[in-house]
Amino acid sequence: MARLPRDVQMAIEKQAPKALKKPFEKEFKKKFLEVKSEMIKEFLSHPVTIELIAGPSSSNISGTLGGISNLFAFIGFDASDQPIQPILQMLENMNYNYAGEAKIGVTYNVTIPEASDIFKATPLPWASGRSWAQGIETGISGLGYLLRKERGRSGKAVQSKTRIRSGRFQNTQYISALINKYKKRFNNIK
Amino acid sequence: MKEQFVHTLTNSFMLWFDHFLLEKGEAFSNQTGTFYHTSDDFLDDSYVPFSSPYKQFVTDSSIVGATLPTGITGNSHYIDYDNGRIVETGSNYTSSSAITGTFAVKDFNIYFTNETEEDLVVENKYEVNSRIPTYNESGIAPYDQVVPAIFLSTATMENEPLAFGGEECTKVRVNAVALSDDPYKLDGVLSIFGDSHNEVFYPIPMSGHPNNEYGDLKDGTYSYDTLSSAYSDNKPFLVDTVTTSKLTDKARKSLANDLYVGFIDFDIQVHRFRFS
Repeated sequence: MARLPRDVQMAIEKQAPKALKKPFEKEFKKKFLEVKSEMIKEFLSHPVTIELIAGPSSSNISGTLGGISNLFAFIGFDASDQPIQPILQMLENMNYNYAGEAKIGVTYNVTIPEASDIFKATPLPWASGRSWAQGIETGISGLGYLLRKERGRSGKAVQSKTRIRSGRFQNTQYISALINKYKKRFNNIK
Repeated sequence: MKEQFVHTLTNSFMLWFDHFLLEKGEAFSNQTGTFYHTSDDFLDDSYVPFSSPYKQFVTDSSIVGATLPTGITGNSHYIDYDNGRIVETGSNYTSSSAITGTFAVKDFNIYFTNETEEDLVVENKYEVNSRIPTYNESGIAPYDQVVPAIFLSTATMENEPLAFGGEECTKVRVNAVALSDDPYKLDGVLSIFGDSHNEVFYPIPMSGHPNNEYGDLKDGTYSYDTLSSAYSDNKPFLVDTVTTSKLTDKARKSLANDLYVGFIDFDIQVHRFRFS
């Protein structure tokens, strides 16, 4: 195959980013929204998320408590709390911006929250410096459940006579694994 | 079973934690007073125990300003630092003997525990051992865990591959639950350890622990600085991250006791080969 003369190559490299910026952005936006949508869908279909969205009447579908009680009550949320909302908000706020020209192309920066950002936005209801989302991954005590029981707050799980202990809690992958997985997916958009 | 990595970490962490709190917070008070006879079924008749109104005593001679037990009446005794008492061993002592002395008492007792947070905070009943002298002073019973106190426990451990040849980055989560009778002291503890990020401490094997089974010092004296420097050729543990938080006031109101509760979560890191 005949090679392009050097001056033609240089002209293409110089003009292509400007000429192709719009079609590239259109293509990138489409792929970005696809991956973002998949990520949110995967987050919303995680058993922990489903269980927490279902609130105090949910069963322990995540299996993190051996089927006894449910995460919403175990963590100690009030019936009116919507613990998933801050995470969902952060995921929905993910976006991209134009970062500059590349060799026959353009580069975009994707803003995706770090796991640590999400942990900061998900405080335990009884100790604001601790994150319940991190606790799902590293372990969480049954203190919230007991404190809530002592106070007799509203919510079905309060009626449970079963003693819930932190030893019953089974850690599971949650936010960190999701973020790591989709960081790679966003990086691979071409 | 021989000592494993996590045993060494636990021992080292506890000694470092105690020293750090005493040094950075000057979290002790020097006291002079009477020791009161308190019976102890674990001791035979040749031992006569006298308890102070406080526990635990400061053992660390590297803490500037802390008075290690001195001026104790009698010349044949051992000091049970953990239980804040003098155990006289001579036949000249009876339960009515008058024992006095001067010592430094920690603002917070330090315990290592396997109990869950809910047991520590909700289920357990504590005797509040105020550091402010009262008129009806008496000796405090041995072995009971009393507050103000900090309970330490190791929670999780994981290895991540670090380098060719099998070196790992070992990460251990250590949790501390602080129970205090006043919010000032609790805030102080949380502040001190919130600032302990990036501190390092050296691995001290369990054989290096300064106390013997009676709570006395093995060698009659103990300095954390000296002990730690004896092991400074080993790779240190790094306090990688520290998160502090307090039990919210709303949650605290549901407690049966009137204690202020704080949590300190440490992520400790060390580079090592497995089983070393």
